[in-house]
Amino acid sequence: MATSTVTNRIEKARKGVGVSGQGAPDQGRRKKKGISARAWTLLAFAFPSLFLLVLLNLYPVIYAGIQSVRDGDLIDPGNFVGLKNYTDVLTQPSFWAATRFTIIFTIVGVFGSWLIGLVLALLLRTKVPAGGLFKVLLLLPWVVPVVVSATSWNWLVATPQSPLPMLANALGLGNVLFLADPVLAQVTVCVFKVWVSFPFMMMMMASALAAVDVNVYEAAKMDGATNWQSFSHITMPMISRSTYISWILMTIFCVNDFPTIFLLTGGGPVDATTSLVVLSYRTVFQNFQTGPGVAIAFVMTLVLVIVSVVLYRQIRKVNIE
Amino acid sequence: MSTLTVGHSLATVASTEKTKKPDPGARGQWLRFVVALVVTVIVLVPIAAVVILSLQPSLGSTTTAPITLENFGAIFTTTNVAQWMANSLGVTLVTVAISVIVAAPAGYVLSRARNKLVSGYSLVLFVVQSLPVVTAVIPLFILFAQIQLVDSLVGVTIIYVGSTMSVAIWMMAAYYDSIPITLEEAAWMDGCSVFGSFTRVVLRNSLPGVLSTAIFSFLLAWNDYLIAVVFLRSNENFTLQIGLQSFFQQNATNWGLVMAVAVVMMLPPVILFAFLNKHFSVGGIGGSLAGR
Repeated sequence: MATSTVTNRIEKARKGVGVSGQGAPDQGRRKKKGISARAWTLLAFAFPSLFLLVLLNLYPVIYAGIQSVRDGDLIDPGNFVGLKNYTDVLTQPSFWAATRFTIIFTIVGVFGSWLIGLVLALLLRTKVPAGGLFKVLLLLPWVVPVVVSATSWNWLVATPQSPLPMLANALGLGNVLFLADPVLAQVTVCVFKVWVSFPFMMMMMASALAAVDVNVYEAAKMDGATNWQSFSHITMPMISRSTYISWILMTIFCVNDFPTIFLLTGGGPVDATTSLVVLSYRTVFQNFQTGPGVAIAFVMTLVLVIVSVVLYRQIRKVNIE
Repeated sequence: MSTLTVGHSLATVASTEKTKKPDPGARGQWLRFVVALVVTVIVLVPIAAVVILSLQPSLGSTTTAPITLENFGAIFTTTNVAQWMANSLGVTLVTVAISVIVAAPAGYVLSRARNKLVSGYSLVLFVVQSLPVVTAVIPLFILFAQIQLVDSLVGVTIIYVGSTMSVAIWMMAAYYDSIPITLEEAAWMDGCSVFGSFTRVVLRNSLPGVLSTAIFSFLLAWNDYLIAVVFLRSNENFTLQIGLQSFFQQNATNWGLVMAVAVVMMLPPVILFAFLNKHFSVGGIGGSLAGR
């Protein structure tokens, strides 16, 4: 199916039909008016989304860009200060601490959820009694609002009287302070993120696996391939494209994530779980420094775009192969 | 803890596959069933805890029954939860409706018109989508403060439409890609306009795509926290997100009541998924991202 759409696209591209409406040799027999009517229709189709995109996405980004080189706050636009906000931000230790945690959080979030999602997708692809029910139940962590699950995780781990610390105590691990110890709080937040995200990965991987022809496995088995060989030589190459896409999407989700961290720990203890987004939010809405807050967000976005482009190139490579 | 179990399950699956040869079927199936069951039970602990705690008598309760619905009665009389629920539902449903109405024709353009302008548009959508919401929130806050849209459900709805739109457009475009162009060409031959073929041929065959898009927009809007916490100030304008959060901060130890609000909040998306999960596919998001 993928190839047929590609052929369609090439054909369409050759005809040159589109908003600009140039060429179109084979539609030439329909009057010229017909072509422009199509172009006008498509423009009208795109218009509402263009309007909202400009108003709600592009305008804010440009405005934020301007604010990042000024010293204003939420009410007063302030004066032009050049790159001062950026140099201030980049020389702050708290920025680098937040960067470090964002990287840890993203790597664990992406690969942790991908690994669990893939394993569960592989498991549920085989014949399992009540498999359909498991598929639905395992989506729940992703479907349930983060406010709800963060509240529940708080109940599970927050105080020494919570169930998990009590359990740890009973097992002789002593007082485990999941959210009060900096390192343990980082681990807890990362595990929480994996818990929230793996169902999304499971869905992505399941739809990728659904496209793999089962007969290929039979053929490989005939040729004496082990299960691991058919996994690494057949399954992985066939789903590598979807894998890269899911990594890109999850990287974006993790870097931009706010509620998962903020609702569980608020960025603490002693800023151990403050990611760049949380730092940016605090700078703007708690310290009322718009410029530095936006500068943080922009530096973050720049890195995100670079990572996305690298991964995107990787997809292209896979496509060509 | 769940990671360990899953790692273990991988090993189990591998070994089951190996022993399957002499006895294909039953035994391996049940082993996999046990693995799936164990993983599911562990994964669902936090969600089960919400439900169980909401049914337990809360602090200061006089009932002796082990399971009670009095928490639900209590939250509806002592808090604004009914109002929050109405706010959340209103905001979310309007967001879903507008997103789909805007994305359905825009996705058609992305799917059918192939030129530099359109692929540029698609790229802009991707970049915009990957920007942190915080960047957009600040300028919109300043703008909305001038036109009285801060602490307003209308204001929040407008921003939700902006934040769901890009993904909605991709999902629609990905679905249209699967509808053969020949169907439309036949309609054009019969003198149908582009608008006519879009509504009568493409849209009519796109119900699953529309449903997926609607479900995704619903989840994004219903589950948002950041936008609501920045823009909504007064209690009667809270969505359930902010309502639950503020209620939790005030009654941190009264878990029965807090969890009752949590149950109210998670019911709509869970019910939606229980009925419509067959129609929901995230594959489309990736497909459209890589195809362009």
